[in-house]
Amino acid sequence: MAYGTINADQIGTSVAGSNLGAGDASLMKNRIINGAMVIDQRNSGGSVTIPTATSTYTLDRWFAYATVGSKFSVQQNAGSVTPPIGFTNYLGVTSLSAYSVGASETFDIQYRIEGYNTADLGWGTANAKTVTLSFQVYSSLTGSFGGSLYNSATNRWYPFSYTVSSANTWTPISITIAGDTSGTWVGATNGIGIGIIFSLGIGSSLSGPAGSWSGSSYLQPTGSVSVVGTNGATFYITGVQLEVGSIATGFEYRQYGQELALCQRYYQQSYDIGVTAGSVSTAGAIQAQGASGNLYCYASFKVSMRSTPTIVSYSPDTGASGNVYADGTNKASGVQLIGINGFTNGTSASPSGYMRYQFTASAEL
Amino acid sequence: MYKLFLDKVTNYQCVIRLSDNACIPFDTANTDYQEYLKWVEAGNTPEAAS
Repeated sequence: MAYGTINADQIGTSVAGSNLGAGDASLMKNRIINGAMVIDQRNSGGSVTIPTATSTYTLDRWFAYATVGSKFSVQQNAGSVTPPIGFTNYLGVTSLSAYSVGASETFDIQYRIEGYNTADLGWGTANAKTVTLSFQVYSSLTGSFGGSLYNSATNRWYPFSYTVSSANTWTPISITIAGDTSGTWVGATNGIGIGIIFSLGIGSSLSGPAGSWSGSSYLQPTGSVSVVGTNGATFYITGVQLEVGSIATGFEYRQYGQELALCQRYYQQSYDIGVTAGSVSTAGAIQAQGASGNLYCYASFKVSMRSTPTIVSYSPDTGASGNVYADGTNKASGVQLIGINGFTNGTSASPSGYMRYQFTASAEL
Repeated sequence: MYKLFLDKVTNYQCVIRLSDNACIPFDTANTDYQEYLKWVEAGNTPEAAS
């Protein structure tokens, strides 16, 4: 490609041998937000035991699912091993028992890319682009691990496998996937563009052959390693990148503030970073002053959210959810007028002095 | 379990998820609202607004 020209995937520069978008530059090369596992607004590095049949967000943008609860936990930098070169954080899974996975059971971590950020891939058309999924993985187990890509309707699946040959060693993985020319994939919408599953143990009824698209619900290749099958087993992952093309290029690093803002489209909180929702903390609380009567106050979101979010109001002074704090006591909150840019909250309990609250807002996929 | 919410001043309505007192807007793109709709379709009924 001549220097100074542009094609769909990369921009030539005047520097011989370099291409913005093909190195470590920030041009939406990586479709994964928080692939370096740096942001953990909800848990601030705390461990989360995954409950029964509830999609549970752990590190920002990453959720876990378990058909049966309490079989594994997820924590940023679990086990405190040294991250791979170039990274400071990872998502760590720890198995909490030796569980035999039933035929229709699933234990996994997942990531969902918004349709606005995948529409250019043209999946579901004859012009579907090839992508490459890359990441680094570290596990106490060895063997053939698995996962799958899926569409919003969960009727198109691409099981993929990767091998971990050495236990407790960071292993770079690269998987190239021909874009799906069939099926229905959401275009430029705020729905699920592409879903990605990393299996921790998935039953035989939900497993199939690797390396091709299918209309069957194949969440992993048949016979993949079951992390939850070994008590104390670990599975750590970081540097996750999904990019256009058939070659895994260098990980696209982003500035911390940029990564945080990208995450906040899907989840944000009024609490300071490092303070878990429900903590007793007035730092950053929204407060209104008044003489008497109803007190309500608008809270503006830091960035516009993906959809109208779910709001939880907290009393800053006690941590109680569903409350504001007014006149020295908790009062039932009155969250209302929620939009993608903000909402109003307060109490009609006739406070005579002040009212304040903290909040979380969630618009995950 | 869920409860409907109605603000008597602004007439704003949402669904309260009782497990964490979350206010869920009536937005079909909201995954919590999608879960609520599945719960209703399964034959469940939310508590009335008070």
